[in-house]
Amino acid sequence: MGIASPSRRSFLSAASAGALVAATGPLLGACGNDGGSGAGGKVTLEFWNIATTEPQKTQYPKVVQAFQAANPNVTVRMTALENEAYKAKMTAQTTSGKLPDIFVSWGGGVLKQQVEAGLVEDLTRRAADLSATLNPLSMEAYRFDGRLYGIPYDMGMVGFWYNKRLFAKAGVKQPPATWSAFLDAVRRLKAAGITPIALAGKEKWPGHYYWSYLAMRIGGGAVFEQAETSRDFSAPVFVDAGRRLKELADLQPFQQGYQGAGYPTPGGQAALMGTGRAAMELMGQWAPSVQEDAGGDLGADLGFFPFPTVEGGKGTLTEVFGGGNGHALRKGAPKEAMDFLRFFLNAENERMFVSSGAFMPVVKGAESAITDPNRKQVAQAMTGATGFQLFLDQAFAPAVGQQVNDSVAELIAGRATPEQVTRSITQAARTQ
Amino acid sequence: MSTAAQSTPAPAPSAPSRRPRRWTGSLARHLTVWVIGAFIVVPLGYAVLSGFKSTGDLSRDPFGLPSPWRGSNYTGILTSDTFWRQIANSAGIAIATTALTVGVSAMAAFAFARYAFRGREMFFTLFAMGLMFPFAVAVLPLFVLLRAFGLLDNPLGVVLPQAAFGLPMTIIILRGFFRTIPAELEEAATMDGCGRFGFFWRILLPMARPALGTVAVLATVTSWNNFFLPLLVLSQPRWQTIPVGVQQFQGQYATDYALVLAYIVLAMVPALAFYAVAERQLISGLTAGATKG
Amino acid sequence: MTSGPPATPGASAPATSTPGAPPGDAAAPDASTPDASGATVPARSAARPRRLRRWLSSAWFLIPALVLFALFVLLPIAIAGYAAFFRWGGFGPPSEFVGLDNFTRMAGDPIFRGDLWRGLVLVLLSLVLQLPLAVGTAVLLNGRMRGRAVYRMVFFAPYVLSEVVTGVLFGMIFLPGGGLADHLVEDLPLLGGLAGRWFSDPSTAMPTLFLVMTWKYFGFHMMLYLAGLQSIPGEVLEAASIDGAGAWRRFRHIVLPLLGPTLRISVFLSVIGSIQLFDLVWVITAGGPSHSTETMSITMFQYGFKRYQVGYASAISVAMFAISLVFSLLYQRYVLHRDLRGAVTAPGAPR
Repeated sequence: MGIASPSRRSFLSAASAGALVAATGPLLGACGNDGGSGAGGKVTLEFWNIATTEPQKTQYPKVVQAFQAANPNVTVRMTALENEAYKAKMTAQTTSGKLPDIFVSWGGGVLKQQVEAGLVEDLTRRAADLSATLNPLSMEAYRFDGRLYGIPYDMGMVGFWYNKRLFAKAGVKQPPATWSAFLDAVRRLKAAGITPIALAGKEKWPGHYYWSYLAMRIGGGAVFEQAETSRDFSAPVFVDAGRRLKELADLQPFQQGYQGAGYPTPGGQAALMGTGRAAMELMGQWAPSVQEDAGGDLGADLGFFPFPTVEGGKGTLTEVFGGGNGHALRKGAPKEAMDFLRFFLNAENERMFVSSGAFMPVVKGAESAITDPNRKQVAQAMTGATGFQLFLDQAFAPAVGQQVNDSVAELIAGRATPEQVTRSITQAARTQ
Repeated sequence: MSTAAQSTPAPAPSAPSRRPRRWTGSLARHLTVWVIGAFIVVPLGYAVLSGFKSTGDLSRDPFGLPSPWRGSNYTGILTSDTFWRQIANSAGIAIATTALTVGVSAMAAFAFARYAFRGREMFFTLFAMGLMFPFAVAVLPLFVLLRAFGLLDNPLGVVLPQAAFGLPMTIIILRGFFRTIPAELEEAATMDGCGRFGFFWRILLPMARPALGTVAVLATVTSWNNFFLPLLVLSQPRWQTIPVGVQQFQGQYATDYALVLAYIVLAMVPALAFYAVAERQLISGLTAGATKG
Repeated sequence: MTSGPPATPGASAPATSTPGAPPGDAAAPDASTPDASGATVPARSAARPRRLRRWLSSAWFLIPALVLFALFVLLPIAIAGYAAFFRWGGFGPPSEFVGLDNFTRMAGDPIFRGDLWRGLVLVLLSLVLQLPLAVGTAVLLNGRMRGRAVYRMVFFAPYVLSEVVTGVLFGMIFLPGGGLADHLVEDLPLLGGLAGRWFSDPSTAMPTLFLVMTWKYFGFHMMLYLAGLQSIPGEVLEAASIDGAGAWRRFRHIVLPLLGPTLRISVFLSVIGSIQLFDLVWVITAGGPSHSTETMSITMFQYGFKRYQVGYASAISVAMFAISLVFSLLYQRYVLHRDLRGAVTAPGAPR
């Protein structure tokens, strides 16, 4: 949990001071049973989410109120938790075998474990109408053996966000498209006295993007799927990814004290970008809004380029690495819970979420609501993607995902070799 | 130790004959204490002053006095329901925990201190072993258990385990105190027709008031500061306690750190105020607990 | 209320006159008591229900505490002890028995071994730095000094603050780039290199954590020593100073030996405290960077609440419990031994 380490998903948009969670107070007054379709038609839905930051923090209660107005027999009880607290609490809840009716899920290995424990509702048929309207890529993380267990509401990808002014100052004419050009750009930036890359070393997950992308670029988009099923990460491609990352780390491209830096905290990764004290960061679709909140709005100086290809690698620029947010339902949740998910993604709400910059669209065609050029670029890259890999710390079982984060952080810090990284991840995959 | 502080004059620090050295010695001592005092106070003072700044001012000038002084961070928090609700939750849970811990422990300590029965030492060792078991370690199984008992989102789910974990220390302190009460007193009470419970309730407890005060203060402070159990058990904002609130607030307003500092300053106030009032009980409790454990 | 406990009132009166179990025998050495009451009852068969009744008449006071303790302390310990032998993701009941696998894995886990090492480092640091500071301050404040009550109060104040508040506060103070600590040291000649490092650099994170721990806990140890010092009679020191003993010699040869019991207790609490250290580290660094501040409880929590390896996490809990237990038993047996015996031979002495 650490001090201020809410990770990426809580920062799909800016965090800013405002009313406290008390805004939801009136909604909490209702008597509290565990939900379930009540005898008198009264239904209470437990809805756990991570909307503790703006603009979602004010949008969510509005959505809930509108839903309740349209369905007078339903009460939605919202519990908004800060991201890391939410994860810790969900672990405990999962262990106890009792999940809330509606809860935020990022799909992948965590959800899969809950599904295998028989705790999650199969939505394949119940949500058939809804899922037909969604971008198929966005549902991949929630699909196991052809069954759908979650409904996404946000979808995006990771890439380099860079400061055009600083790049120009260092004489880097255009965003690098290959790894060697990228390393060259880093050297130039460093020579010009600019911190090339901002990194939140304390939070570990931003570091794992580098290793994952490198492995995808070297071995092609499907490397992780193969490794996960064989529980073997010792293939040369992963060692090679580690070596490339070490090449980068050896240039000391990160800000001073990066190992203690958080992502959205003062002096953290987003703040350095927002205040123009670092030239680039490798981050997801939410990066601009967090920069704006933590440091400042770079405006037209902010640019986006996809992770460069590695010379001789099988991967291409159109294979993307990323993820988003979604909702899942507990097994046996009342049917009103599904109604709520449908309501949540109706055209009006989707427009509100997308245009306010809260989320990237999941509903087909909703891209048109995006005005910001960078976000547009991300949306286009998503639609043109030829391969997709979910964040490893979500895609894999938690033990493996956490080990990836841990080991890569050690590698970047120079405390583990590329071989040690693959060995410990393999070991975690085998003991899982 | 409280009595000692009042009555025993401290030993003279140096021989009375050497006046000049005494003066410099005294200065050196004051200087040393001031340095240590600064080490303690500066972080706290920094937090208090920073609460009066805006985050922008704070990063520009972390040392200086706020200019202008902005009360808005503090007043904003003080006028929010959430803060007061957290204070009330913490207080309610602390009071309930204290009452339960002290009540149950006093009875057990009474039995341990004054009666011989089969298994007494075994039971006592069992409780004493509880001191070795950190709360954090038990959190996960405890959570599963509370779920099974249906105590989640219920203040009792925090109160009962806290009281259970508070038993060892409280029993040990109270047993030590109860032992010092002479046996003749109970014999006299028995002759007056007092049963065991009557003796316990009407004679022993009133006599033990200072010791009870001490353990009550200890239990209150421990409960007030507890973090992980309330975090896991009380998911609804309406039950959240102050430490959980601090963590949550910090997550929500990570970027506005003058506001976060203001929040933790206000969160400190009740604990420090309580300490100012109950200093003697707290300190004697802690030292007694330590030396008797 | 007035007539006494629900157990037979008659039983309590004879009990007070039975030689084996007078109510006031509490000061007697503990070892002799368990069989004392049993030995005085000759007729075994007839005595059984009566003995139970008599047992209950004393022990029913214990029952609420026992129930509470069994349900919320012992049962979780038992669950953890059971789960430690399973590979268990925390879903449903544990079913995949793996024997001692979790423990052998733990023995080979570099992070767990590192936890042990870091725990040792913390203990050593407290012994070498924090305890002398606490003793020194206690001696200073024990002397006649203007405002010492205020100082005492101030030094102890951090101890009453919650770990979360302390953690958040120092997290802000040591924030890389913008925190108070950086501004304090950046212009200093020797310490300037620390700016921007503190909790950010694996090599400085542990010392910084120790600094925060000292801030929070040294006042508590100081109070222990003050209590110990005040039990040293002033006449002893006066006599020594009349004999011409200087301040240092008085401290070394009189004060320090008399502080022995307090010292041993203080060391004991430091060790147990660092084994159990959790909240503070969790809030400030969560164990990072690169595990450099990770403790056993953090590792346990990481596995239990983040990786869903509840079986392995339980094994770590069991190890922590065992280490604390073995340490305190040995310590009590070999180090605290004479202090405890002293207490028994001098009953009623306020300690």
